[in-house]
Amino acid sequence: MATDDLTLVKRVKTGDQRAFKLLVERYQRKIYAVALGMVKDKEEALDISQEAFVKVYKYLDHFKGDSSFYTWLYRITVNICIDALRKKQALRGEQVELDEAVKMDTAEANIGALGSRLGTNPQKSALRKELAEKIQQALETVPEKHRAILLLREVEGMSYEDLSRTLEIPKGTVMSRLFHARTKVQKILSEYLELDESKSGLGNE
Amino acid sequence: MALNPACLSFIPMLSPFVDGELAPNERVTVERHLAVCRDCTGRVADLRAESAMIRHGLDLAADEVDFKDFATKVMARLTPYKPPLWERVQITLSEMFLYQRKVMFASLAGAAAVLAIAIPTLVIGKSTPDGYARPMMAVESVTTEAGAKVTPVVMTNEKGDAIILMVSTEQQVEPPAPAPQDKGDEGQKLDQTKVKGGEL
Repeated sequence: MATDDLTLVKRVKTGDQRAFKLLVERYQRKIYAVALGMVKDKEEALDISQEAFVKVYKYLDHFKGDSSFYTWLYRITVNICIDALRKKQALRGEQVELDEAVKMDTAEANIGALGSRLGTNPQKSALRKELAEKIQQALETVPEKHRAILLLREVEGMSYEDLSRTLEIPKGTVMSRLFHARTKVQKILSEYLELDESKSGLGNE
Repeated sequence: MALNPACLSFIPMLSPFVDGELAPNERVTVERHLAVCRDCTGRVADLRAESAMIRHGLDLAADEVDFKDFATKVMARLTPYKPPLWERVQITLSEMFLYQRKVMFASLAGAAAVLAIAIPTLVIGKSTPDGYARPMMAVESVTTEAGAKVTPVVMTNEKGDAIILMVSTEQQVEPPAPAPQDKGDEGQKLDQTKVKGGEL
C-alpha cells in the first residue's frame, strides 16, 4: 500500500528527500495538467509545475497538516499560474479580469448537442484529438479564477469543500464560479461542434 | 433559443447536481424537474460530456509529456531541508511510536526494570539496619535462651569494635554413624558446633 501524503511530509521534515521525490512523482502529472489548463503553453506549464514543487518544499514548515497536502499543493500551483498570467497581461497592457464580473449567460447555443455528440466517453469520439485542442482554447476564454476551479474540479475531482479550502473562498462562490466557467466552455465547444457538423454535413457521430 | 422560465431556478443547480454536491432534498427536486424537462436533461448531458472532455483533453496533453526526469529536475533545485531540532525529536519519537512500537516498548520495559532495581537499592540501601557489614556497632545487650548452654565468642578488631557470637556448646545427638577414619578430633568438634547467633 502506498504511504499516505502526511507520512511522506513528516519524513521530508526529518530530512528524507526521497520521500519528497515520491510526492513529486505522485502529483507531477496532475499538477502539470492544471498548470497547462491555466497557462496553455506546455513549456511554461512544466516550469510552473517544477516551481510549485520547489516552493512547496521551501515552505514545508508552513504546512501544519490541518488540510490535505494536495489542497495546499494545488493552491500554490494555482497562485503561481495566476501570477504568471497577470504578469503576461500586464506586459501586454491588458486589463486584469475581474472574477466576479461574469454575468449569467443564458443564451445557449444548442442544448444537448455536446452530450449527444460526445456522450460521456470522449475516448470513443472521433473528434477527440481536435476537441482536446479546442478545450485549451475554450479554457483560455474563462476568467483565470473560474478556470482554476474548473480545472481542479475536473482534473483532481475535488469536492466543493476542498475547492473552498484550496482557494480560500466560500462554498457558494465555488458553485457560482464553476457554473459560469462551465457555461462558457460549453458554449464554445457547442459552437465548434455545430461548425464541424455543418462542415462535414454529419448529424451524428 | 428561448429559455423556459421554469428552468431558470434549476439551471444553476445542474452543475452541483452533476458533481453530486446537492443536498438530498435539492437533488430530489432537480430529479423531478429533469423527469419532465427535456431541455434540462440535455443540459445535464452537456455538462457530463464537457466534464469528461476536459479531463480527457488534459490527460491527452499530459500523456505527451515525458515525466521521466521531472522529479530529478525538481530535486536538483532543492536546498536540503533542515527542520528545527525540537521538531526533529518530536517526529523521530512519533515515527518510533508508529513504526517501531515493539522496540520502543521493549526499551521502555528494560528501562523500567533497571529503575525498579536501582531505586530501591539507592533509597532503601541507606536505611539498612546496622549489621555485620557496618563498621560501627554498639552492643546493647546479650541474651540467651533460658537453659541454653552457650558460650560467647567475642571477635575484636584493631579499633576495638567487637562482634559477639553466642555459640552453642550443646552436643547434637546424632544417630551413630561410622565416622571417617582420617578425620581428626578437632574437625569433628567443629562440625558439631552449632552457631546459634545472638542479638546485637
